[in-house]
Amino acid sequence: MKMNKMRADVQALLFLLPFLIVYLLFTIWPMIKGVQMTFYKWTLIKKMDYVGWSNYSKMLRDQEMWDALWHSTIFVILTTPTMIVLAIVLALIANRKSRMQKFYRSIFFLPSVLSVAVASFLGLFVFQPYTGLVNSVLHLIGILNEHREIYWLTETNLAWIAVSLITLWWTVGFNFILYLSAMQDIPDEIYEAARLDGANDRQTFWSITLPYLSPITKTIAMLQIIASFKVFLQIQIITGGGPLDQTRPIIQLIYQTGFKKNDLGYAATMSYMLFAILLILSIIQYAINNRKGANT
Amino acid sequence: MKWLYRAISLLAAIVFLAPVIWMLVVSIKKEGMKIITVVDWFTPPYSFAVYDEILNGTKLTNWMLNSVLVAVAVTLLTVIIAAMAGFALSKVPFRYRAFMFFFVLAGLLIPGEATIIPLYQVAKDMDLLNSYEGLVIPMLASPVAVIVLKSFFDGVPNDLLESVQIDGGGVWRIFAHIMLPLIRPALASMAILTFIGSWNNFLWPFLSITDDNLFTLPMGIPTLMSQYSEDYVKPMVVNTIASLPIMLLFIIFERQIVKGVSLSGIKG
Repeated sequence: MKMNKMRADVQALLFLLPFLIVYLLFTIWPMIKGVQMTFYKWTLIKKMDYVGWSNYSKMLRDQEMWDALWHSTIFVILTTPTMIVLAIVLALIANRKSRMQKFYRSIFFLPSVLSVAVASFLGLFVFQPYTGLVNSVLHLIGILNEHREIYWLTETNLAWIAVSLITLWWTVGFNFILYLSAMQDIPDEIYEAARLDGANDRQTFWSITLPYLSPITKTIAMLQIIASFKVFLQIQIITGGGPLDQTRPIIQLIYQTGFKKNDLGYAATMSYMLFAILLILSIIQYAINNRKGANT
Repeated sequence: MKWLYRAISLLAAIVFLAPVIWMLVVSIKKEGMKIITVVDWFTPPYSFAVYDEILNGTKLTNWMLNSVLVAVAVTLLTVIIAAMAGFALSKVPFRYRAFMFFFVLAGLLIPGEATIIPLYQVAKDMDLLNSYEGLVIPMLASPVAVIVLKSFFDGVPNDLLESVQIDGGGVWRIFAHIMLPLIRPALASMAILTFIGSWNNFLWPFLSITDDNLFTLPMGIPTLMSQYSEDYVKPMVVNTIASLPIMLLFIIFERQIVKGVSLSGIKG
């Protein structure tokens, strides 16, 4: 565009202005403000006492914080690989040419449009002992003796499994769609050529489909890790962080510290811990994506 | 081999659909019935009395309206603001463009969850707590949307713009009448993702709203549920009422939604 330099500057500014205002006020400024808050004992009514670095030294010795970080990490470990495998399996199902193709696509994506609160409460009821859907079905088909119950939500390990299953059910739709469209981008000729060479379905899957999916898998894996690290509401609703805070993730601890214990300064300090971790993960993701210009 | 494939597919579909079907069925069950096996959920007597009770006796529909209003406002404004910024970054050759691009790009590294505590303080200082403005305005800055839309504007050839300028079209006309229609699929994709994000946003309303007339669904539902401990019927009615409109939207716009999601993967 041939434009007068000054005019271009003014026009660009006008176009950028609305974004810059909200970005500066509600992203950049809070980030700077937050650093200040970490040096204070800062309450909800903004009573501020300067405490120097003590929030930081307290955090590093705070077992609750490390536990909560570990719980978020457990959730990442439980949900990331399972999410990828499940999304690929569902995409394979829906990619197969049949009359049911569209039906499968709708069904697998449907839970993703539910509100997080609805999905979590559904999960809570599905995993109730006695009358919950899972236990009743297990009773019905005889896997579970009718006089025994599985207490999904009151045993730590089972609670993790329940929360992970709900999350997979609720969020796999997005990744499923990404895989499905990646699979549909693979040229048919490659499969035909392989079949002419006598390759069966399993061989074409391992040596054609999967390699083609590898760039998108890297992206999905990293985005999934970051998203899982930020888990909060599902756990808040389904287990409440219990039993005995054994499933409490870092965001729940930050919320409780800030708003229940009235200590925004310390809560802000812990948010920067989370920030640091997410930053490192994002940089790794960026590095992976930009290597060989994959996934563009 | 083929029947195994079909069986697994069907089983997966049943597992995915079961909780939703169960929700719908339990929601029309008469309250206070004895449930011994899973079959009992699906047998009569049925009743819609609880629907009446929830629709008229609670603020659920209020909250749903709030959720819709907030999501629509956030979506429209976010996409417009981001499209304007993306256009400037892509097509207006101004000074400091490279710097500005990196300044926005850096925003991708700042997760909202990590700045939510100071954001609470900032919003409080600006008197934005407990208001519709407070639910909408702080959620509008989306660097992701700017970067994605910029990359779509990059795909529009520059000579097209030059020919319009020779015709005497101003930069606003170029933006609104030529550029926006050209990247409509990208705008739709961004809009769908923003809408779903806002619809599910919990943390910010949870921290910034205490007035229950301003609750959104993810906040209101847990408040309501905590009062129902006896039976599954009331909670399932709440879940159903909260989900039916969005499920209906999904059925109507499925093609666009699926396309929007897959587009986000290409650029994301």
